[in-house]
Amino acid sequence: MASYMSMGEAHRRITDYLNRFVDVISYQDGTSLKHLLSLSSESPSFLALADALNLFQDANRLIKQADKYSQYAEIVAPLFRAMQSYRVGHLVESYQAFEKSANAFIQEFRNWESAWALEALYVVVYEIRILAEKADRELASNGKTPEKLKAAGSFLMKVFGVLAGKGPKRVGALYVTCQLFKVYFKLGTVHLCRSVIRSIETARIFDFEEFPVRDKVTYMYYTGRLEVLNENFPAADHKLSYALKHCDPQSEANIRMILKYLVPVKLSIGILPKKALLEKYTLVEYSDIVLAMKRGDLRLLRHALEEHEDRFLRSGVYLVLEKLELQVYQRLVKKIYIIQKQKDPSKAHQIKLEMIVKALKWLEMEMDLDEVECIMSILIYKNLVKGYFAHKSKVAVLSKQDPFPKLNGKPINS
Amino acid sequence: MERWQPRRGRGRGRGSYSSSSHTQSNNFRPSNTSNHPTTRKPTPNHISSKINNKQDDNDPEALPNLTGSCPYMCPIEERIQRERLRDLAIFERLNGNPSQSSSTLAVKKFCRTISTKDVRNVDLRPVFVLEDTLNHLLNIFGSKSQPFEVIHDFIFDRTRSIRQDLSMQGIVTGDQAIGIYERIVKFHIISQHKLQRNDVNSNSNVSPMHHLNMEQLTKTLSSLYHLYDKTQKPNPGFYSFYVLLHLGSDHQPTGESLSLWFRKLPFSVMKSKEMMFARRLLRYSRFGNYKQFLETIDSEASGLQFYVLEPYVCDVRAFGLSCLNHGGYKLNPYPLVDISKHLFMEESDVESFCKDCGLDTYTSEDGTRFMPAKQTSFCSPKGPRKYYPMVSERLKTLYDEAPEII
Repeated sequence: MASYMSMGEAHRRITDYLNRFVDVISYQDGTSLKHLLSLSSESPSFLALADALNLFQDANRLIKQADKYSQYAEIVAPLFRAMQSYRVGHLVESYQAFEKSANAFIQEFRNWESAWALEALYVVVYEIRILAEKADRELASNGKTPEKLKAAGSFLMKVFGVLAGKGPKRVGALYVTCQLFKVYFKLGTVHLCRSVIRSIETARIFDFEEFPVRDKVTYMYYTGRLEVLNENFPAADHKLSYALKHCDPQSEANIRMILKYLVPVKLSIGILPKKALLEKYTLVEYSDIVLAMKRGDLRLLRHALEEHEDRFLRSGVYLVLEKLELQVYQRLVKKIYIIQKQKDPSKAHQIKLEMIVKALKWLEMEMDLDEVECIMSILIYKNLVKGYFAHKSKVAVLSKQDPFPKLNGKPINS
Repeated sequence: MERWQPRRGRGRGRGSYSSSSHTQSNNFRPSNTSNHPTTRKPTPNHISSKINNKQDDNDPEALPNLTGSCPYMCPIEERIQRERLRDLAIFERLNGNPSQSSSTLAVKKFCRTISTKDVRNVDLRPVFVLEDTLNHLLNIFGSKSQPFEVIHDFIFDRTRSIRQDLSMQGIVTGDQAIGIYERIVKFHIISQHKLQRNDVNSNSNVSPMHHLNMEQLTKTLSSLYHLYDKTQKPNPGFYSFYVLLHLGSDHQPTGESLSLWFRKLPFSVMKSKEMMFARRLLRYSRFGNYKQFLETIDSEASGLQFYVLEPYVCDVRAFGLSCLNHGGYKLNPYPLVDISKHLFMEESDVESFCKDCGLDTYTSEDGTRFMPAKQTSFCSPKGPRKYYPMVSERLKTLYDEAPEII
């Protein structure tokens, strides 16, 4: 809680801040400005300032005292209110006040010619999102409908509009885009990403290569995740791989996040990760799945899906992983083929459906001949197995050449 | 500097689900005849975006708190006006008189053009009146007094009005409201089934009605899910309908895929019996396992779930036939009786279905019917879907008698 502070000290702290605020703007010192706006950092100086404001209670009078302060009144006055509310845990009020301040800030930002204040803008954008999330939590805990994050989304779209011009400020657009992605993903209104993606990718004012690397990585991560949701595996592979390649190698947490989505994508196109990779980034939830694919062990796949069901559902990869069953069946049939080949190479390409039934039984999966025939017909149809099956004699006859085509990085055609 | 604006992706009003696609209401006139108004055909794959849209009718969160006080199924003023204009549905007429109704017969119409400012409390019906209204409507639904399309038209419009009243009063909690939405969902599902059956039999084109009905089904489900969110008392069966409606629509360009939808659901709902059934069907459908798909329906589908699934059964059967044809051995033609087991069809229906799919069949000397494999003429069945019942003892008992709505 607030340490003992006198009125005089409170007065001093507030005017110090106001002076600093005015100075950094006149010196166009973006780095310093951003520190003055970062509420949620909860730095000691912020907490002290907030305490001072709550004690002094009439900061507006101080703002109006001098012209050099009052020109920024529309930014600073609500900002102060936001800090005060934040300090006493009234997060909805804090968000509302901060949004007002941010609005005023954007108006000023528009007028500044160069992009000197871009870093500060990033902080404002970030704070809007974070404060909105906290505000929504407060609303939900009071039994009300959370709506601030949605409002934050609208605000960020406005900011995007401000940056989407020909000048140097446009390199900030990707950062704002990524913040929008985070908002939409959190809200589940992922379809709203479309319009901003279209803007980034088709507007002539933007050149993707001009954006900062950090933002490009984040952008590819989120658009990659969208491709995973849509099961566009080649596109997902391309984007997530890009993110992986350009991600800071020191940032293990971020690499892990990318891999969390990249691994299921690679599996879907027939590329298995090494055990060492999964271990290094603690992606153990995928270990059994990879093993099941190597072994052709259907039971293990189903078991692995069930064991981590909640986690896979939350990250949205469950359905993708479920579909790996096709490849597991392919592997199983291939193993039978290999065993048969060892016994009698000339007959290896003829597999009695009965053999497959036996193999499945050994895996504790009961299936009758009809169902195995059904499965074989699907594998053949989807080009996972080359050959045909003789209905009458209940035998699958495999092509002598390349009976189990590899996916080679392409998804299974449906 | 030129200001270039990205297109805003906001929907109308506020509410926790917004979407950039407004639903356009059509010029639907509830009538006592079965003319079908011209409509705009909704785009394919619209189901998800509709579910995540709040109702195209007024956004309750933007409205003042209205509390309905109308004690009748239809506000008196409206009834008098419609009597005067002779705008009474056949079910509303007293002794068949087209300009005379009564408080026990008239039911409030859906009104699309009403602006929220003009709504008064006396025009809205409180929940208990809406419940009674729904009871009255569903009695009509169960009767056979008129051709089905006429009955459907009427109930379609009047239930939409019920939902409008609920939404305008911002009623988003309560077991009564949940019950009302659930029963309306059931109405739409059963109607969908009957409309499709009638369509096939009469060869008339009632597809605008299908689409409209589907549209309202998805909207009602959406409202229901909002209520479930608020009250935390979900009925998993109604979630399963959403999954079943999405079978076969694997790739959706909007990103509103099932994966996204699953993320939001409580784990307990995901593990419920009804959802596990729907998820299993989804798995089989994505795998292409036509046999298990049909077997699971045979052994586990509820009547309502089957009605929702029905249109998709044809696709699955076509796929199965295609696989058998593609992977089969030229010298081993398929006895139709074997195919009939795979596809849960009568043997005679298999023959007809093969024809629908461009495949030949022949009869051998001893009378056995076969389908040769490796035919190159396979095509997906075109035109209005022919209805081939599922050979299933269990389902037969379910769909011969429409499931209880009440």
